[in-house]
Amino acid sequence: MPRHSPDRIDAPSVRFDRVGLRYDSSEDVLSDLTFELEQGSFTFLTGASGAGKTSLLRLIYLALQPSAGEIYLFGQRTSQLKRAQLAALRRRVGIVFQDFRLLEHLSAYENVALPLRVQGKKEVSYRADVEDLLQWVGLGARLHARPTTLSGGEQQRVAIARALVAKPDLLIADEPTGNVDPEMGERLMRLFAELNKRLGASVLIATHDLGLIERTSAPVMRLQNGLLVRDKMGDTRG
Amino acid sequence: MIRSKPEERETPLLPESDAREVALLFVVAALCFLAALVALSARASYGAAAEWTTAASGELTVRLRGVDTRAAGDAETLIAALDGVETARLITREEAAQMLAPWFGTDGLPAGLPVPVLVEVKARNGVTDLASSLATALDAAGFEALIDDHAKWGADVRRALGAARFAAFAAVALLVATAIAVIAFATHAALLARRDIVNVLHLSGAPDPFIANLFERRFWLLGLRGGVLGAIAALGVAAFLVFAVGANAERTWLLPRLSLDFWDFVILLLTPIIAGFSARIAARRTVIKELARTI
Repeated sequence: MPRHSPDRIDAPSVRFDRVGLRYDSSEDVLSDLTFELEQGSFTFLTGASGAGKTSLLRLIYLALQPSAGEIYLFGQRTSQLKRAQLAALRRRVGIVFQDFRLLEHLSAYENVALPLRVQGKKEVSYRADVEDLLQWVGLGARLHARPTTLSGGEQQRVAIARALVAKPDLLIADEPTGNVDPEMGERLMRLFAELNKRLGASVLIATHDLGLIERTSAPVMRLQNGLLVRDKMGDTRG
Repeated sequence: MIRSKPEERETPLLPESDAREVALLFVVAALCFLAALVALSARASYGAAAEWTTAASGELTVRLRGVDTRAAGDAETLIAALDGVETARLITREEAAQMLAPWFGTDGLPAGLPVPVLVEVKARNGVTDLASSLATALDAAGFEALIDDHAKWGADVRRALGAARFAAFAAVALLVATAIAVIAFATHAALLARRDIVNVLHLSGAPDPFIANLFERRFWLLGLRGGVLGAIAALGVAAFLVFAVGANAERTWLLPRLSLDFWDFVILLLTPIIAGFSARIAARRTVIKELARTI
């Protein structure tokens, strides 16, 4: 079961209703997107560079407001929520950014613990969990290393651990295997699958890696020029 | 697995201060120094003027022309007997010499120097128009007299000092407003410089007050430190002035009497507290306003 229950038992984790996005007066980046990510679903998002994958993810993790349509997160219509309520929703979403966004003045351990600090938890209550998670992603010996001293792959693993540490209801990952070797990529995918199955968290992974997609039976959403062209498993293959 | 030792202290989510904050500390300290000094000066001037005008009110000086010692004594007796007069006292040549010592030295007045015959008069409490009744009585008795009512120029001094006090308040308010504006500007710059951190915190679900608190705490301490430095500098300058004026008391007797009393220390104590709170409020408002631009 997810750690946080959605407001409506049957509400999907994410629902887009005719959502559009444009930056300032430019053309639409995303147009007329309507889809749902059910609770506990595992979904891939793919598409060519510039198709709007990152913009779509930013809409889901509430970094952007849509210029048209409505977004529902855990059954809540986000356009009607106050700032504090939006912040509470964000705490239920774990994000693996493509550019990692680690805080350089904090150690790997402190970066991973960040979402828990934001939740106001005391270090003594999470220390073991954070260390275990870092151990699991192969960074048990680098707890106190600053991000600038870590390789790209190591930084990515710290970013993934940070996204997972608060046991989110929804995990969003933007190219999470882009900087890790195939073995670590497999381990990460297994971790995402485990999070999905054991904790019931919904997982949405944006990736270019068609091989990664083909190794699973998860549904795939494909973006092309800001439009969702297919959203069924197998439609993007071949 | 072997657990690491608990961290001695969590690393602050905002990095430790950088060169910009050192420069800002200097600016805040300088502004606090100026504000405290202006406030101390205003209080010293006002206190001295209040002391002086209180002493002067109800006092008159009568200058008699063309009288010898005996006639002067008669005039003194006449004045003392008038209704509304508390005391009347003839100022002796020795007292006149003391008053003129800054110009003629302490060896006494030159032998041929004409010294006006003065009678120092104190009015009873509540008597406001003694000057005209004194003039009438002396004129009737055949004395040629000029009457100087201290209250008249005491009121002028009070008016002038009221204006000076208003100017001092305005200067303090302006300095405080400048400090707040500088801190708001610096907070905005710090927010831009730390945008990556703010962004990660925001997307990790940190509520606006959580993020604002980080900046508030940072600028509260900066304001306090700046205020303490400014207050110490102002205390040093004030102490130097008190010492300098005291050391040259013979030649500076026209200046207001300077000292540092309880209320001056209250001003100095309040300086860092006001600076800290101003910095804190400025930082909070700036951060909340900036965050409101995000979703």
